[in-house]
Amino acid sequence: MTTTYGIITGLRDASLRIGAGEIVAVVGPNGAGKSTLLASIVGLVRPAAGRVLLDGRDVTGWAPDRLLRRGVALVPERRRIFTDLSVLENLLLGGAVLRPATRRARVAELLELFPVLAAKRAEPAGYLSGGEAQQLAIARALMSRPRLLLLDEPSLGLAPTLVDLVFDLIARLRAEGRTILVVEQNVRRVLALADRGYVLRSGRVTDTGTGAALAERGDLFAAYLGEPG
Amino acid sequence: MTELAQNLVDGLGRGSIYALLALGLAVVFGVLHLLNFAHGELVTVGAYATYAMFLALGGNWWVFMPAAVLAATATAVATEIVAFRRVRGASPFTLLLTSFGLSVLIQAGLRTFLSDKGRKFPKPAWVFDSVQVAGVRLEVYDLVTLTVTLAVLVGILWPLRRTLFGIALRAAAEDFDAARLMGVQADRILTGAFALSGFLAGIAAVLIAIRLGEAKPLMGLDPLLKAIVATIIGGLGSMGGAVIGGFALGLAEVLFRAWLPDDLKGLTDGFVFAAIALLLVFRPHGLIRVVRAERV
Amino acid sequence: MTRLARLGGHYGPPVLGALVLCAVLVTGGLLYASGGGGSRDLLVTDLLVTTVIVMGLQLFVGNTGVLSLGHMAFAAVAAYTTFVLAASPVAKAVYLRDAPWGLGDVQLTPAQATAVAVALVLVLGVVLAIPIARAPAVTATMITVAILFVTHAVILNWNELTNGAGGMAGLPRLQTRSWVYAGLVAAVVGARTFRRSRWGRFAAATAEDATAAAAVGVDVVRARTVAFLVSLVVVAVGAALRVQSTAAISPRDYYFEFTLLTLAMVVVGGRRSVTGTVVGVTVIFVGQRLAVNLAGDRENLVALADIFLGGSILGIMLLRPQGLLGDWELDEAIVRWWQRRRRTGPAAPGPAVTLLPPRSVSGRSHLVAEGIGVSFGGFLALVDVSLEARSDEIVGLIGPNGAGKTTLLNVLTGVVRPLEGRYLLDGRDLTGAPSHRIARAGLARTFQNLRLFPELTVRENVAVAALGAHRYRRGRPVPDVEALLAAAGLTDAADRRARTLDYGSQRKLELARAAALGPSFLLLDEPTSGMSDAESTVMIEHVRATALAVAAGVVVIDHDLHFITSICDRIVVLDQGEVIATGTPAEIRRDPRVVAAYLGTAPPVSGTGGTPAAPSP
Repeated sequence: MTTTYGIITGLRDASLRIGAGEIVAVVGPNGAGKSTLLASIVGLVRPAAGRVLLDGRDVTGWAPDRLLRRGVALVPERRRIFTDLSVLENLLLGGAVLRPATRRARVAELLELFPVLAAKRAEPAGYLSGGEAQQLAIARALMSRPRLLLLDEPSLGLAPTLVDLVFDLIARLRAEGRTILVVEQNVRRVLALADRGYVLRSGRVTDTGTGAALAERGDLFAAYLGEPG
Repeated sequence: MTELAQNLVDGLGRGSIYALLALGLAVVFGVLHLLNFAHGELVTVGAYATYAMFLALGGNWWVFMPAAVLAATATAVATEIVAFRRVRGASPFTLLLTSFGLSVLIQAGLRTFLSDKGRKFPKPAWVFDSVQVAGVRLEVYDLVTLTVTLAVLVGILWPLRRTLFGIALRAAAEDFDAARLMGVQADRILTGAFALSGFLAGIAAVLIAIRLGEAKPLMGLDPLLKAIVATIIGGLGSMGGAVIGGFALGLAEVLFRAWLPDDLKGLTDGFVFAAIALLLVFRPHGLIRVVRAERV
Repeated sequence: MTRLARLGGHYGPPVLGALVLCAVLVTGGLLYASGGGGSRDLLVTDLLVTTVIVMGLQLFVGNTGVLSLGHMAFAAVAAYTTFVLAASPVAKAVYLRDAPWGLGDVQLTPAQATAVAVALVLVLGVVLAIPIARAPAVTATMITVAILFVTHAVILNWNELTNGAGGMAGLPRLQTRSWVYAGLVAAVVGARTFRRSRWGRFAAATAEDATAAAAVGVDVVRARTVAFLVSLVVVAVGAALRVQSTAAISPRDYYFEFTLLTLAMVVVGGRRSVTGTVVGVTVIFVGQRLAVNLAGDRENLVALADIFLGGSILGIMLLRPQGLLGDWELDEAIVRWWQRRRRTGPAAPGPAVTLLPPRSVSGRSHLVAEGIGVSFGGFLALVDVSLEARSDEIVGLIGPNGAGKTTLLNVLTGVVRPLEGRYLLDGRDLTGAPSHRIARAGLARTFQNLRLFPELTVRENVAVAALGAHRYRRGRPVPDVEALLAAAGLTDAADRRARTLDYGSQRKLELARAAALGPSFLLLDEPTSGMSDAESTVMIEHVRATALAVAAGVVVIDHDLHFITSICDRIVVLDQGEVIATGTPAEIRRDPRVVAAYLGTAPPVSGTGGTPAAPSP
């Protein structure tokens, strides 16, 4: 599976490629355009220029529901779960594009996988803790059995132990054969996990390489901290 | 004591119609953040449909309810398709004025194509009857409106909670874009919300028409104002609040009228408003607060 | 330039423009009336009188952006008051046999009655302005609906004073139209000059972005209140004229129908423009007349006028929501045309302008924040945060996403109230003060998400900030607006709307606007956000130069650590609401806590976390 981009509003000439079964990380300072990138892929924002290709097929500007049917799901920044709805209802909504019978079966499966959520299925999602909310957001995105999962800052606002949990989950998801694109602030953790990474600065991809290679590069950190040379 | 019971039932009966109207307003407000001033016209359309049915089919009132509901729902959906869909995301100012324009147009349309004067039709025999329940004289009308309203509210509760559409509607009311992310189609949600508001308005229309015995072009204004006041009491943006606000308004009106001395009874509305203003001083967002944060 | 000359230059064109509008309207009306009999005369008077009322409505709605449905309630109060006071005892005996307070025997001259009516409306307005000016726009609209509703109910029921639904007749009718002309001129000139006045400009800024307006020192509540009260005076005068022209009154004259009609007149032509509103009045009025004529006696067409009205409102909202004329004003267009004619070639570069007279600022300012704590419903956004800055240094505020940097800035500028702690500027405690007062005291800011006044011109964005500054920055000189624009490279774009600028220029504009306050400190929230490397470099220099030129200290938040480390004298690092390090850029770079905060911690020793044990879903 490949996805490629060109120039996108708020981004300039950002291109990346994701292969099937990979974990690809996108890192970079805030305001670099990371969320815009994900929003463009998923159809919330229309790119001014450039393309998004899924398995060679041009899906630029497709509405979110079409992309969900093709197996692309997003876990948005700060979760954006529906606090007025119950955990169960949030999950059901994640399967909005599925047929009712499939949806019900899927919810049952996911509740098994996420026992924490099963225990609180009838509670309003607003009462969940940060970690539980992140699990719900991910479970919700998994409802449609996405082949490509996009995660926007999954560790944001979470305590260190919960961060471990989240990255465990991501690793597990990849082991199940999913392709994952992660935008993250926690550079070291995500690069330790990723197969490949892109560094996005001021709307442009400035560096790319395997996760390990990027992690070792001192000048990457220097880019963050402003060391000369 | 009996007087209190009578007033309570009377207030709840009135309040139930207000609750239906307010809920219809709240449903649309939830997804569009618009207070739909054309909502009153849905009631008018429902009443005229009732009249038309009466002309065509004669006396059976229970046939009229579906006609009124259908007419009101169709009108509501039409307004969404013709106007509101195009101004989604515009400023609140523009949204409000759009609803004004529609309100005037619908009224004028009814006056032109149906009639400028009111059209009377006979009220069902039981409308002014009363029954004795546990020694208290209660109006049949109040009992009917209460029963119908409760049945409707319970009846839509199930779809709102159980069907995907209901869940999607509530989700869209909270975060429209996140709902789109889930694959919910914006247009369908909007149409559905308006259809629901039309449905509720249609039921309220029949209940109002029964009592009034008439369909007049300008009859939508009063229900609209009551609905607006009820939503404010209950808290803008909360559907449950709208229902509570409706009942509260009905009770307040009846109780104030009962307690005020005779020469001040005409100013009942003023006193009710004063009470509401007082409530807003202590709870500026109404009874149920819906929080939507703004990032600075 | 003498003060008088400046005033003349400022208000002259609007006044002239307004007079021209009145002349055109009156001339048109008179021409129309000359062709027919008494009924046409009445129509023209009706048109002119309605224009006065609508001007009052426009003054509020157009300048504050708040939709008011209650103005006609005040009109009703004015009209009824005028009637009751000016009608003869004979007429009152017919309708108001039990008039309270001996009003049945009183008869004032029309002028006296109008004066009392306006005064009464003002008193009511002062009271009702309290909730209306403070509430957010939607709630304010709801309050005005309530006012309309309640007033109508009171009028219907207070039979002793109003004769309820029956209405009354028999008021001495106006013999000539002189008062109407006078009222018209006063209303149109008043509406136009209000827009030009400081209060009008403050109100317009408030309508664009209330938060940003407060951040440049505008007292939002007061601006709305002033607009509200002035608008009520105009509406009251118009209503008094109206009731004296028709010599009769009924509650229906000032209820929903009239409210929607007057609103349509404001909105169709362009609510932000006086010229537009006059056009709107004419269009709606003429259109309705035509519809009535077309309908004739046919009963089924009796609502044609309303179809026109509803259709116009809907059409404008769907197709051109800003109104037919947008915010185009006749006098402004003429002035622009005149200036273009006079400029024969490209504008010669002016002499180099300095922002401030040299050595005009003495002493250094000192900003101290101690122990700031902020909680959002249980979530601790800031914990025991302290910060210090002097006006001759640049302090950087950094930290990962969600660390609380913007929250700290919001506390310092009065947008968020701290639970604990306090902060002082030059020894003056500003904790808990409202935003506009903090801005006036000398703390200016820019916003992470860029909050300009998009529909106002570039120059006006800056000028509105400078407008307040002159009065409030006692002892501190205020930079020249043109000089600020020149320094930001915005002179050529000065007459364009702010929203048409490119992103980098918009950021510079926001900075110039903040600098226009002549502040002691500039608090900047991610000024280079979204900029390319090249643009960032330019912006960095611009920030440094501006701060130097206005002698202000800087506290700047940014994620571009290259930027921060290159211009800051000191850096404060926040993480999860707490200060984890302070020091020079060199010290911060080496601090392991800072590195950990930004880049995260290394993964646990066992690698990426255990063997995947879950079944394949």
